[in-house]
Amino acid sequence: MNAMTMTKAMMKWRGWIAVLLLGFAGLVFAQGNIEIDTPTIAALKQSMQQRHAKLAPLYASGAVGLAADGNVALRDASGVPLAQRGQANALVAAENADRAALYREIARANGHPEWEADVRATFARRWIERAQPGWLIQRDGSWVRK
Amino acid sequence: MMRLAFLLLLLAWSGIAGAGALQLDLGRLAHPVFVIEGLHVRLGDEGEAAELAIERFAIGKRDWQDVTIRCPDFRLERAVVRCLRGMLTVPGLFERTAIDLHLDTRNKSGELNLRMPGREAIDIVIRPDGRIVASLEGLSVARLGKLVDLASWNAVGRLAGRIEYSPTRDGARIKVSGTLGDGGFAQADGLRAAEGVGLDIDLAARRGLAGWDWQGRVAWNAGEAYLHPLYLVAGPVIEAAGRLEGEMLTVARARLELEGVRAIAANAEIGLQPVAVRSLAFSVADADLAVVGPRYLAPAFAPSATDRLRFSGHVSAAATVEEGVPTTVELAFDEAGFSLSDKELSFGPLTGVVPWRAEARTEARLAVGGGRWQKLALGAFELIAQLDGQRVDVDRVAIPVLDGALVLERLALAHDATGWHGSGAAVVEPISMALLAEAAGLPPMSGVLSASLPGLRVAPGEISLDGALVISVFDGYLQATRLQLLEPFGVASHLYADVQARHLDLAQLTEAFSFGSVSGFVDAHVLGLELARWRPVRFDARVLSSPGNYPRRISQRAVQNISALGGPGAVAALQRGLLGLFETFGYRDIGISCVLRDGVCRMDGLDDRMAPGDGYYIVRGGGIPALNVIGYNRRVDWNELIDRLQRVIASNASPVIQ
Repeated sequence: MNAMTMTKAMMKWRGWIAVLLLGFAGLVFAQGNIEIDTPTIAALKQSMQQRHAKLAPLYASGAVGLAADGNVALRDASGVPLAQRGQANALVAAENADRAALYREIARANGHPEWEADVRATFARRWIERAQPGWLIQRDGSWVRK
Repeated sequence: MMRLAFLLLLLAWSGIAGAGALQLDLGRLAHPVFVIEGLHVRLGDEGEAAELAIERFAIGKRDWQDVTIRCPDFRLERAVVRCLRGMLTVPGLFERTAIDLHLDTRNKSGELNLRMPGREAIDIVIRPDGRIVASLEGLSVARLGKLVDLASWNAVGRLAGRIEYSPTRDGARIKVSGTLGDGGFAQADGLRAAEGVGLDIDLAARRGLAGWDWQGRVAWNAGEAYLHPLYLVAGPVIEAAGRLEGEMLTVARARLELEGVRAIAANAEIGLQPVAVRSLAFSVADADLAVVGPRYLAPAFAPSATDRLRFSGHVSAAATVEEGVPTTVELAFDEAGFSLSDKELSFGPLTGVVPWRAEARTEARLAVGGGRWQKLALGAFELIAQLDGQRVDVDRVAIPVLDGALVLERLALAHDATGWHGSGAAVVEPISMALLAEAAGLPPMSGVLSASLPGLRVAPGEISLDGALVISVFDGYLQATRLQLLEPFGVASHLYADVQARHLDLAQLTEAFSFGSVSGFVDAHVLGLELARWRPVRFDARVLSSPGNYPRRISQRAVQNISALGGPGAVAALQRGLLGLFETFGYRDIGISCVLRDGVCRMDGLDDRMAPGDGYYIVRGGGIPALNVIGYNRRVDWNELIDRLQRVIASNASPVIQ
């Protein structure tokens, strides 16, 4: 992959995650705002955006799927070289830690920490709705290609 | 039983030798190990074709249909059976396998040679003394996998070697030596897989009255593996010995050579029907944390921080597990260090022991050489903790912080599925503000910080502190109460508190922050303070001149800087003409408030009198020359305000008075 292709690919992914994250604009969660912005939420989104460049090929290959609980999961690592499977697992763990913090933080920023589970469920649906065709998603308890 | 059938077959054949073809049909032949159903044998005359067909052949739960051995050249000479250039077919296991068989029934010796496509060969020699030697060449592991129900592992590789069975007076001996090349396996989800694996295998076993006593050595000399969540490469060597008795495999001693560890030893009892580890004990001596930390500990215990965790020093460990449940764990740290690279959070070196028993109370003793959190250095301290199942009690631990200490007392913590819960008390023994300010990157200031927090509560990701943290500074004091800390080391750290300040000397404060010069004193409160990632996101703050009689003067520079807090172009100084003529001015009161919500500071000033044009007094003049500072901008972006304040403080330029 030459530099230009790489740049284009990165721009594409960056664009996608921006659309995904900004796509929540205007979405009102119960009485709260799921798109609420705080320094912590901004930092979490930035951290997730940076990681997305590494996760995107794993979504595309089906190694990592979008779970129904708002997490990502290592599903089929067989296409990932052995030496990189640990890194894929670390990426999944770090992404899930950020996602958990994001859901918690949005609930807190709305002044309702008890909304965390609802925020998570809303995000889980949206992640799956906005997943690209071919990505592995969990639907009705089963893992399927979108 | 099989032998009996074969003898019957031979007798039947020899009885009618020369009388043409023989056919034998057996309905069912049962043996504790195997079952044969539908056995058909057809023998022709000397040198003619013979065929053995089995409709179903079963060993344990596995069975094969339509097993056949065809011998185009079958001979029986003086109880010597020969099958030359035969073909063995066991559908799904042996396809198109060439077979040569030579059996001498007089001295019970013989030879069996199997040749499979792909240069796989099995040669078995049975000697008159009862010894059996099997030589394997290029034998497919996938083929063996079909025998032992390992299909889901998709095992591959080639086995070569020698298996020798020798009967002894009271039992038997088996020796196995061989190699595995290009070995591997892959489960469908890719979470357990290996590629390019090379093994050197040496095993020996002796059967006695009590079962098989065995010992062996397996050296992993090539390839890599991923056993979720660990990535492993060739290098480890395992030596073990034990006994196989009925359905119980005992590993009396095992020793594993692993890079970065001086020694790993284990023993275990493993049930084979079904396969389950009944008991396990292992010890790890002198593991180099710099090696085993990133390879094994971080992926197993903190996968999300694998890239950021750093380890140093050594640890030794021992544990016992009964029926899958840990019963004892011993950890011994030797100059061990742990740090998170991007948070500048570190602990160590750590030396001491942590013994744990599932059913008994124990005491852990650790000498911690120090630590660091951001720029805050922690000194050396000793931690003595009582461990009891899932509970940890610490009577008292004093952690030196700069020239003071954080003392935790009566700390009682318990771990459950959600995390750590507990309570205790905390005291901060006086820390000099001069050192703290330096560590925090603040301007030099004098005073001390201390705290008495008798109600410390811990919940998963949360620390709450009842009591007060007091900072005596600028001749007054700051007091923080209702402290609550969420995920202090996480990305989404939060601090909540109410802060009251009394009688802060403005002369010292403004000098410390290069804010110009103001004499007098102020009181302040910051209620409902919330810091996210250590930055304010919410509070109700108010600063007001302290009551009392004291000199109240404000410099030109300070006037300018206070003006900056009110927003661009939104502050007017009355009696402007006079401002340029005097260095300092008298004032009666200073007051400013900010309610921070959603990144916007709603500002107000002294509330006793509305200033003209919907403004608010920040400084109300008094004396001669008198000066008022009025703010007009009631909504100021917080980040912009901070930027402006930092620029004001950083700037040494003289104020421009209009």
